[in-house]
This record gives sequence, structure tokens and C-alpha cells, in this order.
Amino acid sequence: MSNIEIGLWSFPALMLAIFLRVPIGLAMFLAGFIGLGIVHGGFDIAMAKLKSETFTTFSSYSLSIVPMFLLMGHFATLGGMSQALFKAAEGWLGHRRGGVAMAAIGACAGFGAICGSSLATAATMGRTALPELRKYGYSGGFSTATLAAGGTLGILIPPSVVLVIYAILAEQNIAKLFLAAIIPGMLAAVGYVITISIYVRLNPDSAGVKPPVPMGERMRAIVDVWPVLLVFGLVVGGIYGGLFTPTEGAAVGALGTGLIAFANRGLDFKALLGSFTATARSTAMIFFIVLGAAFYNGFLAVTQVPQTMAQWVLDQGYSPFTVLIIILFFYLLLGCLMDSLSMILLTIPIFYPIISVLDFGLVDFIAMQHDMIREAIANGAAEGVAPDIMDQIKGLMAEGAEVPRKLSAELGVRLTEARANAIGIERTAIWFGILVLIVVEVGLITPPVGMILFIINAMDRSTPIVQTYKAVLYFISSDLIRVALLVLFPAITLFLLP
Amino acid sequence: MHRFFLVLSKGMAYVGGAVLSALVGIVVLSILGRELNGLLHADLFQNNMKGLADWLIGFRIPGIWGDIRIGPFNGDYEIVEAGMAFTIFSFLPLAHIAGAHATVDIFTQRISDRQNRILTVLIDVAFAAVLVIIALQLFQGTLSKFQRGQTTFLLQFPVWWAYALSLVGAVIAAMVSVYLALMRIAEAFTGRHLIPTGAGADH
Repeated sequence: MSNIEIGLWSFPALMLAIFLRVPIGLAMFLAGFIGLGIVHGGFDIAMAKLKSETFTTFSSYSLSIVPMFLLMGHFATLGGMSQALFKAAEGWLGHRRGGVAMAAIGACAGFGAICGSSLATAATMGRTALPELRKYGYSGGFSTATLAAGGTLGILIPPSVVLVIYAILAEQNIAKLFLAAIIPGMLAAVGYVITISIYVRLNPDSAGVKPPVPMGERMRAIVDVWPVLLVFGLVVGGIYGGLFTPTEGAAVGALGTGLIAFANRGLDFKALLGSFTATARSTAMIFFIVLGAAFYNGFLAVTQVPQTMAQWVLDQGYSPFTVLIIILFFYLLLGCLMDSLSMILLTIPIFYPIISVLDFGLVDFIAMQHDMIREAIANGAAEGVAPDIMDQIKGLMAEGAEVPRKLSAELGVRLTEARANAIGIERTAIWFGILVLIVVEVGLITPPVGMILFIINAMDRSTPIVQTYKAVLYFISSDLIRVALLVLFPAITLFLLP
Repeated sequence: MHRFFLVLSKGMAYVGGAVLSALVGIVVLSILGRELNGLLHADLFQNNMKGLADWLIGFRIPGIWGDIRIGPFNGDYEIVEAGMAFTIFSFLPLAHIAGAHATVDIFTQRISDRQNRILTVLIDVAFAAVLVIIALQLFQGTLSKFQRGQTTFLLQFPVWWAYALSLVGAVIAAMVSVYLALMRIAEAFTGRHLIPTGAGADH
């Protein structure tokens, strides 16, 4: 058997193990370990790798952002921040038709800005908003579905643990990915609000009426959410503004939410220990999968399967968009079975090399060159350049033609095909990352096994899960429409990037 | 017995959590130092309060790894890396005993109770084998770092320190996993529930 065949056979073996309830990290570790043993004809190399690889995987500086964000998220659940957010959103939206549900979405979006986990967002906002929704006559299934959808905003709106892992696997800049996630995240919240207003018109009995809150009280409620805004601004603004690295941002966020929780009397010694154990469980789970993935990917790299598969897809001449849609569809299916982080760690090392060799037309060489020339001229680069050369350049630009590099270099513009390609790959990676982030989250609310659905439904014993299933389909439709929009218009995602 | 391992695992998680919090503190202090230092060098302070600013920049307290001063924490990067390895290893035992590892269990819900028990034994034995191998190889790694006398780049502390500290969590995780595997085997033979099956992960 050739190395490639061994690599390819490892997929079905791995999937079988995972479907037989073998923990995903363990399954990947074993597949990688045994695979390396077969390829090298013995386990010496795999064993030698273990001497330092576990340590180096766990001591990665860029991954240290993960436990810090998790700690931040657990602190955020303690501090009364969810109540403050919900109260503010309810004050402004609650009296509208379906307003309390809209407020729950708004509060989830706000909470997502300080918590990088969907399950934590769903659980925390569920405890806060579910009793209120039921109090104002919102039907059971509608209430639980709203909160489940709102929960997915925890990961869509940065900071997001899944996005951090994606960034590391695809070797992309975390700050740029966070920035790119902001507009799609807000679109998600807006889409859910529209979904709610459609739902309550189609099902008028599903929502009650809540009297408006006086203006003064609304203003006070807005003032109460300042700590959340401060922490979000510090973390995301600081990372993006270059004030600190993503890991430093996570540390600032953890300290910030910890202080807020302490000030709100949510963080006593017992709660601190509880945050430690909760962080320990999720951190160890994630890092064990990261370790398994590191081993498995090390094995795949030896077999050269990812490059070979990427080349094969390229040789078939499929349309890039067809490939993309098949991959996204695959994630939707897999998302019904697996949690988002496992899915990303399992699949990105295979799919990302394929996506990165496809050309989605995200970079137009000539347009980019013309933009750079215009910018250079605006900055006064044309001074001292011979007028006939300037005329030649302007003439070519008016025709929409490429300016030869010899001419553009006179203005200090030296764009090469290679540089444009590199920018194109980066844009593709960021755009693909955001798309994957959304589709894996949809899996968390897809009946019959979406994990968030179970968490929220367990909080409301009076609602049969079938009713949650029915109502959540509206929100899933909104998600799918959003994915289609983002696929058709990559600019929505890439718009904020420099 | 189960209580002993549970308390041990929880204790390790608390220690890991405390170290994680300390790392958060170190990173934030380092940012503050760096920004304050930058601010003191900026025009605002240099033009108006030069004396005070220069005195603060030159201020020193002797410390273990060089003087403590207003500035970035030299080598905070290395401390975060070493501390993070310890933290993750010390989180492993709790995740294991609490059954927090991510699994796909919808396909195994249909199979019989007996088959499920056999599956649990196989999985937990494999997990124990892997965690024992990881601990043993980490020990080998510690020895080789010790023998080579490798130190970190900035702080110059021996790399084997971090390895040795991580070994504590790795060994406890291995012990917990062997205990769990043995209990599962006993369960499969006696047909009784001896230990609670873990709840799902919260992530």
C-alpha cells in the first residue's frame, strides 16, 4: 500500500471510530499514531515525537488565547451582565410585536461580544430571558427557538474560540478574522429580528404584549451596560488597533469580566473555583482534540494526502463555487452530529488546502493596481515623473488596461502577480473561515440533535422539543439566506478589512 | 476510591486555574508596563514633566530575573508558554474523570446495553494506554531536556522545569485513566454500575 492509500484509508477508519463513540481527540490521536507507525514501519518515530510534541502543543503562545477566552466567558456568565443587557434591550424593544424575543436576540448579541462560546451564551441568556418571555405570553417553542438561535451569536460575534482555532489551522491573522466576523455577526442578529417579526405575524398567538417602559428607565438601563461595552471595546479594539496581541486581549478580557463579576457580587470564592473547573473541562477537551489533530495532521502531511487531494480537485476543473457549496453542505450535515470545534479541527486541514488553491476572483489584479496608482498620485508621487510617462499611465488606466510594471514603478507602485495572489489567498481564507463558522453553528440548532436545542429545551420542561424544532426552522432559514448572501457577495465579509 | 480521584482531579484543576489567573495578571501587568513606559517617553510627559517622567523610567527595584521597572515584562512570552503547558496538563485529569471529552453518541444509542459496556471498556482502556504513554514519553522528554541543559532564550531558565511541572498533571491524568479503565472492566464483569458516567462537556 502506498503512503497516499494509507492516508486515504485513515478517513473511514477515523470516522468509524468517532461514530463508535470514541472521543474525537482520542480517535484522531490514534489514527495519527497508528498511521505513522504503518508509514514508517514501526512506532519509534511516533514515540520519539511524543517526547516533546504534547508539551509544545500545550505550550503554544497563540493557543493560550483559548483558556483565557474560556475563563472570560465563564466570568461573564456570573456577573449579572446578561440581566443588564436583557433589561436594556427589553426597554427599547419589548413593547413591539415580538419585542421581548427581539430583545433576547439583542442581549445575546451583546453577550456574544464578551463570550466566545455558543453553549455558554445560550445557557446564560436562557436562564435570564426564558422566564421573561414566558411571563409575557410568548409560546414555548417560539421562546426556546429564539434563545437557541440567539446562542449561536456567541460564536458568530467576536471574540470567538472557534475562529481562533480556525486562524491557527489556516495560519491566518486572528485580528483580521475577528474584524471580518463583525458584519456577518450583526447581519445574523438583524436576520433573527426580521425572522421574529415574520413569525409573530404568521402566528399571532405566539407572542403577548408588554407595556412600554418609560424613557428615563430606558436610559438608565442603557447606562448599566457600559461595562460590557468597555470590555468589548478594549478587547476587540485593542487587538485590532495593534495595542496588544490576541492573547493579551484575551487576558485583558478575562480580567475585565472578572472585575465586573466581582463588582456585581457574582464572583465569590466558590464561584471562582466553579469557573476554574468549568474552564478546566472545556479547555482540556479542546486541547486534547488539538493534540489529536496535531498528530493526525502530522501523519497526513507525511502521506501528502492534503496536497494530492487539492491537486486532484484542481485537475478536475470543477467550478470553485461548486466545490465551496459542496463543502459547506458537508459541514451542515456533519454539524448535526458533532460540536463545532471538533468539526473544524477534523476538517480544516483537509478542506483548507483545497479551498486555497481555487480562484474565487476575490482579487482583480488590474483594479488593485489602478487603485494603488490613484492612491500614489493622490499622495503626490506624480511630482517629478516625466509628463509623457504620466500621460501613458493615464491613457492605459482610462482603457482599463494593465500598466506595465516599468511605468508604475515610476510612481513607486510595484504590484506583482505573486503579491496579488497572496492577497487573494488571504481574502479567500478569511471569507471561507467566516462561512464555515456560520454553517458549523447552524448545526448546533439543527433538529434533531442540535446541542443548543437540548440545552435550552431542558430549561423549559413545559415545552415539548417538537415545538422547539418547528419554530427553529424559521431561524435556520434565516441562517441559510445569510450564508447564500455571503457566498454571493464576498465583499460583505471582506469590506472592513484594510 | 472514586472520591479520592475526583478530589485529586478537582484539586489539580484549581491549581491550574490559579496559574491561569496568574498568567492573566502577568500579561495585563506587562501591557500596562509597556504602555506606561511608552507614555512616559511620549511628548506629553517629556515636554511638561521631564524630571518626573525620567525618574519613573529610571526607577528600579532589584528582582529575581533582573530589575523590576516600569516597562514591558521581559520574557512574559516564555512565562505564558511554560505556565500554559502546566495549566493544560493539570486540567486533563478533571476532563477525563468528568467525561468532558467530545464524543458523537447518536449512533451508539441503539446498540444493546451489553455492547455499550464492552465499547466503554475498549475506549477507556485505549484512552488509559494513550495517557500512560503520553506521561512516560513526557518523562523521557524531561530527562533529555535536563541532560542537554537547554534554557529559554530571554529568561534563561532551564526548559526542563516547565516539563517537570507539566509531568505532575500528566501523571495524575494517567493514574485517573488507569483507575477508570479498571473500574469499567470490573463493571463489565459484574454487570453493576460502580461509578457514575460523566455528563457532557460545557464548551
